[in-house]
Amino acid sequence: MAKQLFEWDYAGFPGAKTYPHLFKPIQIGNLIIPNRIKYAATEENLNGRDGFVTDAGVAYMRERAKGVVGGLCFMQGVYMDEKRQGQGYVGQAACWDDKFIPGLKRIADAIHDAKAVAGFQLMDCGRVGAVDVEYGHGPSAVPQRLRIFRPIKEMTKEEIKEMIQQHIDAARRGIAAGFDVMEISGIVGYLVSNFISKYTNRRTDEYGGDIRGRMQAVVEIIQGVKAVCGPDIPVGIRLCAEELLDDVRGNTPEESMETYKIAEEAGVDYISVTLGWQESIYPVISRDIPMGNWIHLAKRAKEHVKVPVQMAYRLFRPDLPNKAIGAGELDIWEMCRSMIADPLMPKKVLEGKEDEIRHCVACNLCLARLFRDAPMTCYINPVCAHETNPEFTDPPPAQEPKEIMIVGAGPAGLECAYMAARRGHEVHVYDKRDTLGGTLNEARKAPYGDDELWTCVEYQKKMCEMAGVTFHLGSEVTEETIEDQMPDAVVLATGPVYPELPGGPHQNVVNLLDVMRGTAQVGEKVVIWGNRKPGIGCALHLARQGKQVTLVGREKTAGFDVNPSFKWRYLIYLRQNGVKVYNDCDIERVTPEGILIRTYDGYRIPVACHTIVNSDRVANEALKKAVQSEGIELFVIGDALVPRNLSSAVHDGYRIGMRI
Amino acid sequence: MAFDAEKEIGKVLRGLRAAQAEIGKTYYRWRQVALELAEDGVDPLQVGLRAAERFGKDIGKSMLPRLHWLKGEAAFLLNLGRAMAGLWNVDGGVATAEKGEKPTEVFIKCTRDPWPTWAKEFGVSMKEVALCREKMLKSVLEDVSIFFNIPLDLEVQKAIPRGEGMWLIRLYKKEE
Ligand SMILES: Cc1cc2nc3c(=O)[nH]c(=O)nc-3n(C[C@H](O)[C@H](O)[C@H](O)COP(=O)(O)O)c2cc1C
Ligand code: SF4
Repeated sequence: MAKQLFEWDYAGFPGAKTYPHLFKPIQIGNLIIPNRIKYAATEENLNGRDGFVTDAGVAYMRERAKGVVGGLCFMQGVYMDEKRQGQGYVGQAACWDDKFIPGLKRIADAIHDAKAVAGFQLMDCGRVGAVDVEYGHGPSAVPQRLRIFRPIKEMTKEEIKEMIQQHIDAARRGIAAGFDVMEISGIVGYLVSNFISKYTNRRTDEYGGDIRGRMQAVVEIIQGVKAVCGPDIPVGIRLCAEELLDDVRGNTPEESMETYKIAEEAGVDYISVTLGWQESIYPVISRDIPMGNWIHLAKRAKEHVKVPVQMAYRLFRPDLPNKAIGAGELDIWEMCRSMIADPLMPKKVLEGKEDEIRHCVACNLCLARLFRDAPMTCYINPVCAHETNPEFTDPPPAQEPKEIMIVGAGPAGLECAYMAARRGHEVHVYDKRDTLGGTLNEARKAPYGDDELWTCVEYQKKMCEMAGVTFHLGSEVTEETIEDQMPDAVVLATGPVYPELPGGPHQNVVNLLDVMRGTAQVGEKVVIWGNRKPGIGCALHLARQGKQVTLVGREKTAGFDVNPSFKWRYLIYLRQNGVKVYNDCDIERVTPEGILIRTYDGYRIPVACHTIVNSDRVANEALKKAVQSEGIELFVIGDALVPRNLSSAVHDGYRIGMRI
Repeated sequence: MAFDAEKEIGKVLRGLRAAQAEIGKTYYRWRQVALELAEDGVDPLQVGLRAAERFGKDIGKSMLPRLHWLKGEAAFLLNLGRAMAGLWNVDGGVATAEKGEKPTEVFIKCTRDPWPTWAKEFGVSMKEVALCREKMLKSVLEDVSIFFNIPLDLEVQKAIPRGEGMWLIRLYKKEE
């Protein structure tokens, strides 16, 4: 008999009317899940280096559990071997001994407190593992493509049997900890997918060979885990629908579909569709990939198996899964990053508060941090990984309400504004532009998905409205304005300034913002000065208009300010668009023909061009003295303090808003 | 005949950068071989120091034909300092030599050193990077001192063998 763990009634909620397919129940194995929402397993590096669950990890999960409004909430994949070859992240939760059960139980309990269904994930990171030991393990010793990963030792048959048993034992511990659903992770090049792929499995024994042989270890894992889970705890698996490893002769999509059928035969109760490997040269989840790009893979999966099919991958808007579920192409909407960025995302959808969602901008900083052994951080959500700290989650009211003048309605100013207003301050935001958003108005025009960055401003605008912030747009703040208003505190969020190029004003030098706005005259051959993200965005914008573009800058690599999990995309796009790049260089002089650049070690290169676009930024000193000389409390945030990126603007704004 | 200066310089520079990138890697690959062939229990630092000594002596000998005493002691020391700074520059680093307060001293300043990055890639400790650099430079001085009959020495005043590295070295004539 199928059972439901918690009662939920969505009938009175507006989201259930707008997205009816998301808020109807589904049966998985013998469990009824009240809706179609799942927070997918997510490493966050918040556990101890010894694999024990921490308060930070529990608090992180507690927030996400509230978000799924009764749906599935999965904890991160656990590693299962004492030798730690399966451990892919320094702060990954462990489950190789019963001693980990009490900590894991805290997570299951936190999920249940929110009346959500608690999911446990078994994840041996295989080729991407061994983060703290010398060698990783795998079906065959295929060298690593990416140097950051450890060399692999081929597993003996005994070791394979041991690994299968480790999955079974860990599943038993997960059940003992109180989890309701069991999942085997075969995602992005971890051990399960290493066995399945012909790229990494070159064995000739019963664990290798054709697709059935390569699935043998997986089948034994499924059967063993099913046996300990019994009829009441559904078992699912995450499997690649497309490996995107054609360049190294990985599996074909047909073979991948075969793995779905074999997993179903072996007894899984659902399949979660994944794609791509860490080692694949194709992007899958970065901002340059349109939302909903991969949903056809769920449809394909549904054509091959009968068990419910779940999928994530850039499904950042509820209309996409709602439509797919309605059309019978998907059963459950999985989310990872949307709920890193806003833990309550699906709850807000249900409550009809979509304009209150802080949207993920698909920058992959969260991932990049994990690979650098750092705790998770979100580019756009300053609270992420600070869930234990009430100062972050619920900043206390200001002890002494103040009148605050915020100069600049860009992301830094807006973030600070709503936070300060929420805490009881009277907040006035000024901007000389007559629109909100500051330089993001121009930045969003860069190609490859940057328009999505604008969601940040939309969210902030809504938050400001709700908090009662007063806007003074089209109104430039001068020293006199400050003298007249005499606020209690001033926050300068004025954005950066663009210093002149060497040799004084030049006729053929234009500003980045004018170029992005389309108000500057730009010749056919263009040099962009500044190889950080704004320069890259502009270079790609112009190259796509057919201009011949050269990017020159002081940073050692272009996109120094972009996290490595996204930067590689820009480097490829620069190449594809024929942009020539000179890193680690300065402009020695502007010449009548173009510029003379100087490498860090003194070599000079003439670069001919018609136009030079200046994207180099420095801190903005304007108004600082005026504020200080009046004895007014002063804060400087965002690019006005140090030119960085959108994330720094948001984080600066939030933190000052919390403190002021 | 018209030519595209940017293209030609660019080509040369790309070649130079590729060659520079191989310098450290080649050194550390050989270090690996030496350690593999060495007896069990050999201290990798001792192997590194031996190599540094060998490199330094050889480089010192190659400097002899280029150094001269024609403009006196201060100029001699400055030229030697520049030649030593040049060892970083050919590897892709940035280093200069400047006169000190006394005519018998010169400061070699390296503001960018590619070796720590290479070492990190091969799992070599930063302590080894620093000690080997010091050993190599001291070994350069051995034959130079004898040949020109001037007692030379150096002291490492600052060594930050991390990231892009940073060095300050005082090269001086020892008091008799
Ligand atoms: C920071 C981070 C950690 C992740 N950790 C796991 C994990 O532990 N297990 C797993 O199966 N997938 C993991 N994933 C993959 C996600 O569950 C998800 O499938 C993927 O991010 C695509 O969904 P999205 O576009 O909603 O983010 C992780 C992804 C991210 C970004
Ligand atoms: S770090 Fe970037 S990709 Fe990750 S959740 Fe936050 S906004 Fe999304």
